[in-house]
Amino acid sequence: MNEFTNNPIDIDQLPKFEEVQLKGLNPKYITVLLFNFSLLLILVIGGFSTLFYFKQEAFSNTIWITILVGIVLFLVGLIVFTKLSFHKKGYAFREHDAIYKSGLISETTTIIPFNRVQHVALHQGFISRKLGLASVELFTAGGSSSDLEIPGLLLADAQIIKNLVSQKINPPKQDEPIEIASTETRLTEEHE
Amino acid sequence: MNKSVDFSQPQRQSLPGILVMFANSLQKTVRALWPILLIWLVKFDTLNKLVFFGSVAGVVVLIGIISYLQYLFFKFHIDDENGEFVIQKGVLNKTRITIQLHKIQQVNINQSLIQRLVGVYKLEIDTAGSDKKEASISAISHDLATILKERLINSSQQDTNFNTENILEENTTSSFITIGLPSLIKIGFTSNYIKSFALIFVFFTTILENLQQLNTEVIDEDKVTNYLDTLPVITSFLLVIGFFIGLILVVNLVRTILKYFDFTIQKSKQAIILSYGLLSTKSTLLNPNKVQKIKITQNYFQKKLDVTTIGIHQASSDVEKVKEKDQIEVPGCTENERDAILKLLLGQLPQKGKMYLPNWRKLAVNSFFFLLLPIVITLFLNQITEFVTWKEWILYTSIFTVFTSILLWYSFKNYRLFVSNDFVIKQNGAWDIDTTIIEPYKIQAIEIQQFFWQKATNIGSVTLSTAGGTVSFTTGNYTEIKQLVNYWLYEVETWEKNWM
Repeated sequence: MNEFTNNPIDIDQLPKFEEVQLKGLNPKYITVLLFNFSLLLILVIGGFSTLFYFKQEAFSNTIWITILVGIVLFLVGLIVFTKLSFHKKGYAFREHDAIYKSGLISETTTIIPFNRVQHVALHQGFISRKLGLASVELFTAGGSSSDLEIPGLLLADAQIIKNLVSQKINPPKQDEPIEIASTETRLTEEHE
Repeated sequence: MNKSVDFSQPQRQSLPGILVMFANSLQKTVRALWPILLIWLVKFDTLNKLVFFGSVAGVVVLIGIISYLQYLFFKFHIDDENGEFVIQKGVLNKTRITIQLHKIQQVNINQSLIQRLVGVYKLEIDTAGSDKKEASISAISHDLATILKERLINSSQQDTNFNTENILEENTTSSFITIGLPSLIKIGFTSNYIKSFALIFVFFTTILENLQQLNTEVIDEDKVTNYLDTLPVITSFLLVIGFFIGLILVVNLVRTILKYFDFTIQKSKQAIILSYGLLSTKSTLLNPNKVQKIKITQNYFQKKLDVTTIGIHQASSDVEKVKEKDQIEVPGCTENERDAILKLLLGQLPQKGKMYLPNWRKLAVNSFFFLLLPIVITLFLNQITEFVTWKEWILYTSIFTVFTSILLWYSFKNYRLFVSNDFVIKQNGAWDIDTTIIEPYKIQAIEIQQFFWQKATNIGSVTLSTAGGTVSFTTGNYTEIKQLVNYWLYEVETWEKNWM
């Protein structure tokens, strides 16, 4: 018991999460973001195009031009918004917790300590798979509001992160080689 | 344990359970065939009586046979080898539910009216896993239920506590707190106004709708309106208001007493047992380790009468769905009892520690959204439709303004966050003042949030997620919040204590 100390904690001396250098997401992730929006956009444009083709007299010419300008402005705004919000997204892993920051209008930082993570999952959507991207999701017992998903990671990085977190949750036994665990998860956890 | 019951062999429920199953199935059938039954009842005279009673009797016999078969095929046992509780059931579709004992979170013994008549109890098992399959035994004698409950709960504790044998022997439960009728009456008169109002409202609208559909004139609407018209406006207004207030109070009182009659908290060695209810007795087992969040509610009247309500939120796997069940309410305890319960659950009385106040802009933003915006909207609407005269509009608006201003001011004044080493306490509310208590080591995730326009004024919010719900503090000093977050992270990451 001679090692026991109980010094008062100086709050200012604690490691500061806000000073951690965040790592940006993979630039390819912008494509995924844009693709998600483009589906909606195609639907809108398609709708107006068919209307224009079959029933041009529904609106006067000025209104048609306004609609066209509106769609173009919306498109430009969307691209700018996506790019800006992409640059706001970032993540970091510390010794004891994971940090993810996002949001252009409302900047949100979520922090989950590793000793509260229940399990880790690796997701790959359709587009993400084509681009070689993946996302890692950390689940806690706090319900869906406190789960943390880091999107737009290179598959290799995502796998490393997943293994890192799994090891933090359940430290591997000495005699068990880690490689086996990683190949196993690679086979089972890849889903959309 | 002198009453040693062997749970390792599959066994059936107690025999009167058939009746319970019969009643349940009958209820389900009636509920499913409700529209048909209604049509039959309306057209009763034109029906062939023989066919009618024949089919009713047939259905009843069929349900009886099904109930008997269900009883026959329902078996449960504890598999000590694998540490599982197993339920087998199903007549045609066989179901086998296995629950790992260490995952059992809570075992409830309840009694509905039918079960009370027959003299059996229902045993429900809650698990912590994400799988939503639920296990319940709907007919079991009280002795057996208690023994099984102790067995299940104690086995689920085994990894943290090894002296299970001792616990079983020292199974002496001592009554800890009993909440008497006076406290319940006090609570009934002073809380849940809005809930009861909603209930009454729904009740009346359904009744009125049904009456209109059936075209019967039980209450002559015109008569009531005529009677009210003969009185001066103020008197009739007060009469209606008074009637509703009285009704709400009575409904409140009856609901509270029915639900919480004879509320007792018993403390056994391992867990806390709550039992309550007049018509259907509920008994809930509560494990202090699994309590994540405690919410104390008290309003001005209740403060004067010395009663409070304590809400206990336990860890739940599915935050949206199991909310009701994992939230236990202790109604009407005095200050001393409240402190005793808090001590029991937390091990010590929570200290408030350092106080944090929201920025004054919180009041401004709330005033804008809840005061200014509604007024502007009604102003515009009235401009267009001229629904009421401007004199009336000014009258209503000033009443609304006074009322809302008071509420906003008090909700701002009461909005506080207290942080000490062992506790995070948040206080909020205008009339009903909620005090939410969580322990930092039970935090699962922390989220801080800031709108871009808040950067200049250095304001932000923080949300702490626990397995029993979240606590958030908005529009606070962002620098202070960040400091607190660092401190909480430090606590979560260094404390060895298990959060559940």
